[in-house]
Formats: sequence, structure tokens, C-alpha cells
Amino acid sequence: MARGSATLASIQRDHERSLGGVRQMSIAVHLSSRGIAALALAALVLTTACSGAGTPAASASQAAGSPVSGGTLTIPIVADPTLNPWSPNAFVESIFPNRVLFDGLTKPGKDLAPAPDLAASWETSADGLAWTFKLRSGVKWSDGQPFTAADVAFTFNDVVLKKELAANHAGDYAALKSVTVVDPLTARFDLSRPFAALPSYLAYNSGLLPKHVLSADPLKTVSFNKGVPVSTGPYKVEKYNAGQNVTLVRNENYFGPKPYLDKVVFSVVPDPNTQIAQALAGDIGLMLLDDKAAIARVKSASNLVVAPRPLVQYYWLALNQTDTRFTDVRVRQAFVQAIDRQAIIKAVEQGYGSIANTAISPALKAYYDPSHASKYPYDPAKAKSLLAAAGWTAGPDGVLVKDGKPFRFTMDVGQKGPLEPVNALIQQDLKKVGVVADLNTMEWNSYIQKVVVRREYTASVNWWIYPSDPDVFPYYHSSAAGKGFNIPGFKDAKLDEILVRGQATSDLEKRKAVYKELQTYMADNLPYLFLWYPEEIDVISSSLQGVPALGLRDSMHYIGEWWLAKK
Amino acid sequence: MVVGEEVGKFLALRLASGALVVLFTSALTFFFVNLAPGGPSSIMNMTATPEQREALVRAMGLDRPVAERYVTWLGGVVRGDLGTSLTSDQPVAALIGERLPNTLTLAGAALGLSCLVGIPMGILQALRRNTWLDHLLSLLSAIGLAVPVFWLGIVLILVFAVSLHVLPSAGLTSVSDGSLGDRLAHLVLPTLALATTILPTVVRFMRSSLLEVLGAEYMRTAQAKGLAARVVLGRHGLPNALIPVLSAVGALVPRLLGGTVVTEAVFGWPGMGRLALDAANGRDYPLVTGIAVVVAAIAVATTVVVDLAYTRLDPRVRLS
Repeated sequence: MARGSATLASIQRDHERSLGGVRQMSIAVHLSSRGIAALALAALVLTTACSGAGTPAASASQAAGSPVSGGTLTIPIVADPTLNPWSPNAFVESIFPNRVLFDGLTKPGKDLAPAPDLAASWETSADGLAWTFKLRSGVKWSDGQPFTAADVAFTFNDVVLKKELAANHAGDYAALKSVTVVDPLTARFDLSRPFAALPSYLAYNSGLLPKHVLSADPLKTVSFNKGVPVSTGPYKVEKYNAGQNVTLVRNENYFGPKPYLDKVVFSVVPDPNTQIAQALAGDIGLMLLDDKAAIARVKSASNLVVAPRPLVQYYWLALNQTDTRFTDVRVRQAFVQAIDRQAIIKAVEQGYGSIANTAISPALKAYYDPSHASKYPYDPAKAKSLLAAAGWTAGPDGVLVKDGKPFRFTMDVGQKGPLEPVNALIQQDLKKVGVVADLNTMEWNSYIQKVVVRREYTASVNWWIYPSDPDVFPYYHSSAAGKGFNIPGFKDAKLDEILVRGQATSDLEKRKAVYKELQTYMADNLPYLFLWYPEEIDVISSSLQGVPALGLRDSMHYIGEWWLAKK
Repeated sequence: MVVGEEVGKFLALRLASGALVVLFTSALTFFFVNLAPGGPSSIMNMTATPEQREALVRAMGLDRPVAERYVTWLGGVVRGDLGTSLTSDQPVAALIGERLPNTLTLAGAALGLSCLVGIPMGILQALRRNTWLDHLLSLLSAIGLAVPVFWLGIVLILVFAVSLHVLPSAGLTSVSDGSLGDRLAHLVLPTLALATTILPTVVRFMRSSLLEVLGAEYMRTAQAKGLAARVVLGRHGLPNALIPVLSAVGALVPRLLGGTVVTEAVFGWPGMGRLALDAANGRDYPLVTGIAVVVAAIAVATTVVVDLAYTRLDPRVRLS
């Protein structure tokens, strides 16, 4: 008996040992995973070179022809979506389907100005505190029930404004007091302060929910969020296959023209390299290319078109204003000129982006002031002289010193998108002017908790994507310092005044003037260090036509116009 | 009779200790995942305001102490309720139940393939020890161990789906097709990728185990008795050599389940591995704990089965 168990134990020990050896090997492999990833890329290039050598594809999207009905379009998303635009669990994977399914009162126009969607028209009162929306008549939900102002009131009063529900981006509607049903086709938004950007915000992930379905539990009804929701868009859900895909078919009750595509499939493909491989294989008709390093590969494929699109997004470096070293504007101006932003755009965006010196993206054509783009060219010598003027002199080891203390701090780095290489590039650039930045890299949720929630950071790079409107109040107003979206904690009375004035101005020409002033003030004072405006790269099957030249999220509002050319 | 009694006692003991292991796993997972910095994704969202975060913390009950939440969770488990996912509001048990069969299919196929290929390969290597064939197969095993699954997966997709167009690139089935043939075609590439995580180990165990047996005295005795080489190997060699391999395969099951995390992500396979990855990234505390418990239970069950099988194969091994 004893002997038996001894044999068993010794056998198991042997296995442990050899498994341990294997484990060590796999750790070694993980350590060099970057090299391995490069190998995988090389393999991709090889196979595309074999399979995709052919005519250049760039002109394919311009192929003429009149739209035809039919076909299935597959679009990849990274996880199972939550089909409810207001659910706090509706993350990036949910935005595409939600924008197709749920119409808002407005939608982003092709010039990004708010355009009518479920609202036919709107007007504001003289004091800017009441907005009246006339609804489109004859609109039905996908279950045949009529859409009315009661649904608008329900969505805002009972979902967005219900604090305990913590609805997704409810913070965008901080100025909203309540929505009143004037008549079945008229809804009035009453505000506590003027909010000229309201129609733009209503076009931004603000789809309306059906009162008759969700009044019991607006955000957690699983049969809706993870099943077949009732919606008003051109397509409705046919089937939700968890972990696999969500298939959409035409909504026969849709108020607009009949969409061309028979079917739209949002396919769950978590791995970005697999998404690219699927596009190369022709299994995917349209995708957003996050990893711009893959552009060359995709370009070489004859069945795909690479389309750069403008985005309402900018990357920034936040310097915590509780650290007195960063309250001197000369230090901020020195940093922004010490950083070779063009090199960063080239390295991580493959050149698809432009230098930012304000928060207003060039995608907002009506408001963007291009005169600031060249304000801070890469100039390390200028940076050094500005730092010297601020009292920072070179110490014996080349590191700048002031009051006996070296200019050294930690930059917290979240593992997401291009943030790791960007931080490494900034670190090198700062070193050249005698500033030491130590990088502290961490997983994304940990990063958000440390930097965004607790504000326990000194310097950090991140980005903002915001609604297509120059009203950036939540990210810059002093009331948001230390807790809201004002990450650097920048407080400035003049900046506050311009932001408030912008919100109170609804006349387009006057608004343009206010936001021109805002851009000048931002570029001079650098509340955040603005880095660059990225462009989005969409990969589109050469047979897919009619996709407008907008960011893919905004394009989703025009899915009814997309069509597949017959092969 | 005695044997039956022994088995019953053994089972009761092992199941009791297994239950303890699972309980311990659940406690460790629950506390560690709660200790991990950051919180559920909906709270750790860039665009959530402080008020929203507070409301969510309250709504999810995360304002209560971890120990208290664990006890509540444990109370639910006793009633067969593994809790509710924080990111999808669906019952954890339902989510796992939906994904587990897909993972078992994939892991089972990979395990089957590894044994079908690995055992003959190991035997061949042992019998042709130190020949060029042995060295070649050893080299292949080493390569198999060294190649990371995510890389191999992408290469397989590029070769078989993109270039050759013979197999589907990813997913469980095609959107418009769900036939058995379609399902099997989708299973091929992920099975190949996942099998590489354990196949080389099976080969190595088979080889070394058979070599050890071949040198044993009873083998020489059998040969001396004048038995044919085939009979010596088939009746005395292989049965004895396979016993440690069986135990190795049992020990490989947890690694196989770990391997599904990467394989399922690369191939868009709707299994539990991917669910675990999403849950961990999103700090979905109940879901992470639920999956850990299920995996622990599978691992415990596997060892019990392997140990029972041992007694059948090797009369020297007793249950105690």
C-alpha cells in the first residue's frame, strides 16, 4: 500500500518537474512576445504579397454604378455588444450596432453639424433655456408601436436624468432639467443653463428607448440588451448569438427609404490580427483599423480599400496642476516644443494625423482655426531657453535643476492603443532637454483608477473623443478640476468665461467667433499639452459602396445608403 | 467487495478534499480579483462622471466589504446561484453554461488529437532512439513548445483561410450555415493551434516512459521467454509505459483549459476562455470567480478520474 502511493507520488513529482520546465519555457516565449509579434507581421506581409499582388485598390471606392439591393455585410466588433446606448456597459464594441439600431432626435450630418433624425426640426427660446423639438410624424418602433414624444420624455427623464441608474454619458446632459411632452409630436427640453450644443450632443450616442418596452427596467432588461431590442433604425436585430455575432435585417417599419443591404452582421472577433486576416480573406466587409502598422499590408490587398477619415479626437499630455513645476506656462510651452510631435504621428499613426495646439479638431470644419497648427514647432533649443527663463538650469549630469531639485517625474502609462510607444518617444524627447520622465506602465482599468478617478498622477498621456461640437466645457471648466473630465485640474477664470459664453451663444456666426477666441486662448495657455489629432483608418471591401467620408461611428447613421456591388 | 468498499471510501475522501480545493480557489479568486487595482469597466470608464461612479458602486453593492460580499456569494452558490455578471446582468451560471460546451469541444478535440498523434510519435521515437527520425521529431516537439499559440493561430488562418481558402478563418459556424460539416470545418484550425500547447509534452512523456520500460527487467524476462518482439512490446511494454502518460495527460488538462484563453481569442471561438479574458479585463468579479470555480472543479474531477483509472491499469497502485 505504502509502496503504491509512493510510486504515484514520485510519478506526479516527475510530471511537476517537467511541467515546470515547460512553464519556464513559455515564460521565456512571453518575454520575447514583441519579437514574435513582429514575426507574425512578417508572415502576414508574405502571405498578402503572395495572394494580394495585383492592381492598386485605392480607386475602387470611386467605382461608379447605381445602387443595387442585396447582400450581407459583416463588420467585426471586439466583444458581445450591449444593445442599449445608455447602459453603463455599452463600451466601444456596442457603439456600431447601437448607432444603427437606435435613432436619436438628431444625427451627425455629413458636415458633422446636427441633422434631423427622429426630430424634424427644433428651435430654442430667446434665453436659450428651452428647446422645442418637432418630431417626425408616422415613425414606428420595430414592433409596430408608434414613436411619440412620450418616448423622448421617458428616455431623458426616466433614464438619463435618473441618477441612481448611472446611465452612460449622462454627464453630457448636466444642463438638462427635464423633458416635457407638449403634444405627441412635440417635446420640450428645459435647461438650467444655456447649452447651445444640445442638438449636437443629441446626435452623439443618444438613441431613444421605447417606453412601452423598457418602463419597468430601462437599463438592465437582458432580453433587450442582449437579445432582440425594439428600435427605430433602418435595421433591427434578427438574432443575438452570444460570443459569435449579432445579425440585423431590414426594419420593415423604418420611416426612411428602404436600405440596400439585406443583412448586416456584427461579428465578434476579439483579436485585431484575426480581424485583418478576415478582411484579407474577404470575410469582413468593413472594419476600423486600430493598429496602423498594418496599413501597408491591407493596402497591398486587391479586395480592400484603405480610407483615412477625420475624427473628433485629440491626444494630450496632462500635467497635474497641483504640481507647482507645471503651473508656469513657460514650462508647458517648453515641453510642447521639446516633443517631436511630427515624429510621433509618423511612428504611431503612419502619418495619418496632424499636430494639435487646441482642443478643436479639424473635423469640425466650421470651427477649426488652422492658424494655430504651426504655433509650436519642434524646437529643443527654444524649449531649453524657455525652461532656463523659468529658472531651470543644467546640473552636472545634464539634468535640469531648480532650487537644488532635479526636474524628474513619473508618467503613468495605460496599456491601450498607441500609448506605450508614444510615452517612450516623449520620454526620449524630454531627456534631450534635460527633463527625466520615468514611465510607470499599467493595465487599463488600474490606470483609469489611478489617473482619472483618484488623480494620483503627475503627468500622463491620453485622448478625448467628444461630440461633434466645439463645446468642450466638461474637459476645461474649473468646476471639473480634480474630479470631472478636467484631468490636469487647470483653473482659469478667462477660460471659464469663454466656455460659458460659448454655451450661451446659439447663433452660428457668433459661436464661431467665440470658439476662435477659445482656440487662441488654449493655444497660448496650454491647459493640456495638445499632441495631435489622429485620423481614423477604415478598411472597406472594394465592393462596398456609398459609405460617406466620415468616421465609422458617424457613418453608421448612413448605413441605409450603403450597397454591395455585384461581383 | 473489498475493492468496491475501497473505491467508495476513496471517492468520498477525494470528493471531500476536492470540494475543499474548489472552495479555496473560490475564496482566493474572489479576494484577489477584488484586490486588483481598478474596478468593473463601467466604473473605470473614462467618460463616467464621479456621480455616475458612485451610483454604480452602490448599485453593484461594491460599497460593502469584500468579506461580506464573499459570504453572500457563497450563500448563493449553495443554492446553485453563482451570482450575476456585472457587465451583462445575466446569471453567471447561464453565461458559463452557454460557453462551456464550446470549450469542452475544442479542448476535447485538441486532447484527442494530441493523444492520437502524440502517443504513436512517442512510441516511434523510443523504438528508434537516437536515430535521425528521433532527433527530427524531438526538434519538431521543441519547436511546437516554443511557438506561441497566438502566432501559430494567425499563421494558420493566413495559410488555410486567406491564401488557400480551404478552411474558415474564425468563429464557431458560418453566419448562414450551422451544419455539422460547417462546424467541423471551423473546429480544425483552433484544434491544431491548441493541440500544440500539449502535444509535444505527450510525445516526450510517451518516449521517456517507454524507454524506461524497455530497459526494465521484466521486459528482458519476457524476451528471454522467447516471446515475439511484437508481443513483448504490446503485452508488457506499452501497458506499463502508458500509465505515467495517462497521469501526464490528466495533469495537462488545466494547461489545456488555460490555452483556450488565447486560442479562443484568436479564432473568435465563443468559449469559456474568452469569457474569462473579458471578465478579467472588465473586472467582472462574480464572473471571474464563477469561471475559476468551474475550472477548478474540472481539474479536480480529472485527477480523480485519472487516479481511478490508475488502479485499473496498475494493480500495484492502491487507493489510499
